[in-house]
Amino acid sequence: MSNEARPAGVKRRDFLKVLGASSAAVATVGCSSEKVGNLVPYLVHPDDTIAGVSNYYATTCRECAASCGLIAETRDGRVIKLEGNPEHPINRGALCARGQSALQGLYNPDRFRGPMVKENGAWKAIDWNAALTLVGQRLGQARTGGAAANGVFLNQHESGSFPAFLDAWLAGFGMGPHLSVDFEADSAAMEANRAAYGAAWPRLSFKDARLIVSFGADFLEGWGASVPQQLDFADARAKLEGAPRFVYVGPRRSLTGLNADQWIACRPGTELAIANALAGKGSIADAARTSGVAEATLTRLQQELGAAKPALVLAGARGPDALELGQAVAALNATTGAVGTTIRPAEAMPAFEGVARTADVLALVERMRASQVPIAFVRGVNPAYALPAGARFAEAFAKVPFKVSFSLYPDETTELCDLVLPDLHALESWGDADAGRATISMQQPAMDPVFAGTRATADVLIQLAQKDPAVASRYTQKEYRDWLISRFPGGESAFTAALQKGVATGTVAARTAPAAAPAAPARIAPAIDSTRGDYFLVTYFSPTLGDGRGANKPWLQELPDPVSKVLWSSWVEIHPETAAKLGVDRGDIVEVTGPGGTVRAPAYLYLGIRHDTIALAIGQGHGSVAKLDQFEPKHTAAGVIQWGYGRYARGLGARAHDLIAPVTDRAGALALVSTRASVRKTGDSEILVSTEGSARQHGRGIAQAVTVTQLGGLRPAGATDGAAAPAPEAQGAGAAAGEDPNAEGHEEIPGEPSGAFLPGLRSPVAADAQGELGSPTADDQGKNKGMYAPNHWSGMTNRRWAMTIDLARCTGCSACVTACYAENNIPTVGAPWQNATVWADAKAGFNITRSREMNWLRIERYFEGAEQGQFTEDFEARFTPMLCQHCGNAPCEPVCPVYATYHAPDGLNVQVYNRCVGTRYCSNNCPYKVRYFNWFGYGEPDRKQYAFPEPLNWQLNPDVTVRQKGVMEKCSFCVQRIREAETRAKVEGREVAPDEFTTACSQACPSRAIVFGDAADPQWTVAKQVGDRRAYHVFEELNTFTAVVYLKKVNHPGPAAPAGA
Amino acid sequence: MTQRRKWTAIPGVLLLVIGAVVLSAYSGASTSQGNQPTQPINFPHPLHAGAVKDGGLGLNCLYCHNTANQSNDVGMPAVATCMGCHTIVGAARPEIQKLAKYSAEKRPVPWVRIHKVPEYVHFPHVRHINAGVTCQTCHGQVQKMAQVYQYASLNMGWCVNCHVNGYDPKEGQKAAGYDNVPPAGYSGGVPYGTPGSSAGIATSATPPGMTPPRDTSAPSAAPAGSAGGLAVTPSAQRRRARYDCAVCHY
Repeated sequence: MSNEARPAGVKRRDFLKVLGASSAAVATVGCSSEKVGNLVPYLVHPDDTIAGVSNYYATTCRECAASCGLIAETRDGRVIKLEGNPEHPINRGALCARGQSALQGLYNPDRFRGPMVKENGAWKAIDWNAALTLVGQRLGQARTGGAAANGVFLNQHESGSFPAFLDAWLAGFGMGPHLSVDFEADSAAMEANRAAYGAAWPRLSFKDARLIVSFGADFLEGWGASVPQQLDFADARAKLEGAPRFVYVGPRRSLTGLNADQWIACRPGTELAIANALAGKGSIADAARTSGVAEATLTRLQQELGAAKPALVLAGARGPDALELGQAVAALNATTGAVGTTIRPAEAMPAFEGVARTADVLALVERMRASQVPIAFVRGVNPAYALPAGARFAEAFAKVPFKVSFSLYPDETTELCDLVLPDLHALESWGDADAGRATISMQQPAMDPVFAGTRATADVLIQLAQKDPAVASRYTQKEYRDWLISRFPGGESAFTAALQKGVATGTVAARTAPAAAPAAPARIAPAIDSTRGDYFLVTYFSPTLGDGRGANKPWLQELPDPVSKVLWSSWVEIHPETAAKLGVDRGDIVEVTGPGGTVRAPAYLYLGIRHDTIALAIGQGHGSVAKLDQFEPKHTAAGVIQWGYGRYARGLGARAHDLIAPVTDRAGALALVSTRASVRKTGDSEILVSTEGSARQHGRGIAQAVTVTQLGGLRPAGATDGAAAPAPEAQGAGAAAGEDPNAEGHEEIPGEPSGAFLPGLRSPVAADAQGELGSPTADDQGKNKGMYAPNHWSGMTNRRWAMTIDLARCTGCSACVTACYAENNIPTVGAPWQNATVWADAKAGFNITRSREMNWLRIERYFEGAEQGQFTEDFEARFTPMLCQHCGNAPCEPVCPVYATYHAPDGLNVQVYNRCVGTRYCSNNCPYKVRYFNWFGYGEPDRKQYAFPEPLNWQLNPDVTVRQKGVMEKCSFCVQRIREAETRAKVEGREVAPDEFTTACSQACPSRAIVFGDAADPQWTVAKQVGDRRAYHVFEELNTFTAVVYLKKVNHPGPAAPAGA
Repeated sequence: MTQRRKWTAIPGVLLLVIGAVVLSAYSGASTSQGNQPTQPINFPHPLHAGAVKDGGLGLNCLYCHNTANQSNDVGMPAVATCMGCHTIVGAARPEIQKLAKYSAEKRPVPWVRIHKVPEYVHFPHVRHINAGVTCQTCHGQVQKMAQVYQYASLNMGWCVNCHVNGYDPKEGQKAAGYDNVPPAGYSGGVPYGTPGSSAGIATSATPPGMTPPRDTSAPSAAPAGSAGGLAVTPSAQRRRARYDCAVCHY
């Protein structure tokens, strides 16, 4: 043997040595205990906190002007979740997606860590004392030079005490009042409202209306205060038979437009002609000719408007004649009995008073260009981004000798400044807001500052004043908080008491209006020139990103636009027929040229836009002056400031507002719909980053609807002829047959009778295989059936967690989606660097184009009508929140080879992450496609795909596992909230009370469309709703016996539905 | 066997062995049971929590770990809690001076963590403590450990053992190392020890929903020598808890 020739190479002995050593190494690595850290105690235990138990602070949302009330949930000193404050008069507990995302502003990894100064074009850190001295010197110079009065302070519009405080501070330094800027504000509507009702934003009471007509007023999006408006609108729709019909007039169906019962597709800029004709000023025939709308449609609307009193007519079209439209609509409202009923000036929202007009900002830019401005302060405003390129802001701003930014983020305007004094986030600072109806909304820090180097601007202003002998005497308080208390009705004790509720009775000291009335806007948009360009151009503020403010928050980037379902990019909306004419297909890059410039973006073929119109959303297209490479976690040095509004915003999409000239309507708001543009096909193409699978239901009955006339014919589930709806207990097995016309041949499925112990849901829950059927001996009285036995000692089978979603209420706003991200540690997967390492293509949304999206709860949007893609006003959109249906008979469960997904006895379909080996069979077998796979290590900090770079990971919910690469995940029905409620009940020695808690989506929903609870206990609201006459299950025919019950949408066709319009 | 075949067989077998080792390492069967790291301060549990007759102070565990019955997290005492006594008591001892140094420098003591379940396991202390499970059932008789070590394996099988077979409060008392024997008829729920003499705690009366098991005939399957060395008692007296996956894994 030893004489045989051996193959050359490794000798046997060496081979075994190596083998032994390596296996020992593997064994050592494998067996070593998990990396165990330290247990770090408090130095002094804070009062009122228990480690691991949340504390809740009431504060105020500052993401838009509306100032909703917040409850910030903090765990061990960090805010982990924002919810609406139920005690707050504005949002009554609800919160929109932008409000939820405030957390990602707080924990944004691109926030400034401390003050910085620009020296010779390069930024360097500076300490606060030196920075304040520098500002003090510059302020002193301006004052002694007599030029201080020309100094400017641009502040993000907010209500409350701060505007008055700021004006007083500016006056101390010889400067005029500040400009309170909100580029999104519809100044035309406000000015018209003020003239007609004496308030900029009266409360709109949708549920008192019998007819709602909106001329481009997107009240479910950025137009005004979307959350309270949506709450009221959903309440109105929930009246079903008595609900108002909603007619939307405009060239493009926005999210609000898609919620309308009827769309009147007028030519852009012709809303005024229609409004006038409806009011009897001018003939219907002329208006029809001008607007391109059928005369019969307008006549019918006029008749309807005459009959339906009170109506609610809203004007929000942003054309050149927006102000005139607002005035015309106010006149219409006066005749339809709206004032005092549907429009309530007495309950006006003061949060919208005092907004500066964009025209004022443009006038200021011209003063800067003329070198008249010696010093400029910018806080929370980003004019370098938000003003159209035609305003040439950067060039004018450069002529200001000293520019200070209080911004938290490296945005475009800050990059042009000379000094950054980073402000605290609203969740870290003191303040207040005017909630209207004699209510003060309190703003308090929910946590210590994330970055010790940042300071509240209000405190900085006080410190500046105290350094200046001429002003110091005015400020006796050391901090803004003390200043607030000194002016608070009732003093410190009342202040402290008010913080607990978040609201207090009283009014904040209003800002004294600037003495001089604002000058007339300098550049009024001319009427749309119909000879120029090929198509009317509609630009609009993105419902999710607003005026671009939201772009640095990955939750908002990852939130599909409610209308187009496009994310992480820009798109051009073109009607399919127009696109066919241009030879453009979905995803083809088109070049749009307007008077302001040219942008390139992929085409999105959209039914809800006129032939002669194209539309683009404002909000993307952030960029920096500095040449910066795309952020790459492995190669970008820490400390490189991510100019261009941060790593998540820079370089995505296009600046749509660059297409328009910096012209305004007569009320001074940017005229967004004021021009025509030409469209050219470039020949390039890309896969549109979109979560829209198919816009059609293909007869699957996912989103079901009835007309209001059919409503009376619906029978509650399980009802016998002529009988009233039975008590939920009576609805058990086979109840589904009451509604399903195909149920004639409905077979008795094995185990079905056991549904009787799970009352409440219409569908029988198949008594699980492990229960009735799985037991080897059927007569062992459940002994071996484990927890699935109906009378198991644990009582788990007594509960059946379930959810109802009322599609008559749902507007598709997507607040629930972001709430779900926040609650369940869902990673965002669309950032450019989150693709596979082997793919060089670093395009944002890459994972999503390869169907690797990750959203436990998504809003599916389906179109009904216009099947051939032909233009028609008569098509319908249906929104369906789609999440794990927690099937009683789940297709995903039997296919899992490792039992990683199984059915809990309380009705949850559970995913056990540590068992999952990633075969993805479950996802393949799921008819609802609600299971999502971790293709990369989104939850693993050392991978480039990590979705929570420090300090974004501070937000992670400690009650929910952060999933690792290679496991499947999906909606858990917020099982951590269930467990928390159970624990609380157990500690208090009681059972979980009906409606004691709810899921994150249901809590946030500004339409109150989602109800969660125990369907087996008739005391829960959900148990009452599952038997509703409108209830149905998606894919009922698959016998999945879902725990999510949808209530059909209710449509309100017109008095005589337009035949083939 | 030819040389060639042998050369493929040996590595093949070895590969299988390695594979088994690797798989077992990641299967959760691994444990850091017995892990006894050196702590930044040599804190003597016997002195604080040990019974009075053994020379301890007989402090209740909850005196320092005061959120165990209120929260999922057990909580570590704040440095100020230690200094509450040790500003005066034993201030001259070297270990106390270490503590005083941390306190003076306003630095928290970086205790080395011993007991840890993986991130995907949600272990609520509050549920267990309020159900009458004594601390020592899982942590061992810390009041007698000169230096704390990991007593139980904390493996899933160890958890499930108790959830399936049930837990007898008397066993918990026994595991706690009490010197007095539970009175006849005692079924758990409230502490019976003299205050100050027992380190373990058991607070609530029979918690709602925690009904005794129906089947009294089923043989108790608690394996002898299972974690904690629990003696097998008749299953009628055992309390059982839910044990489906989603109770802890979500």
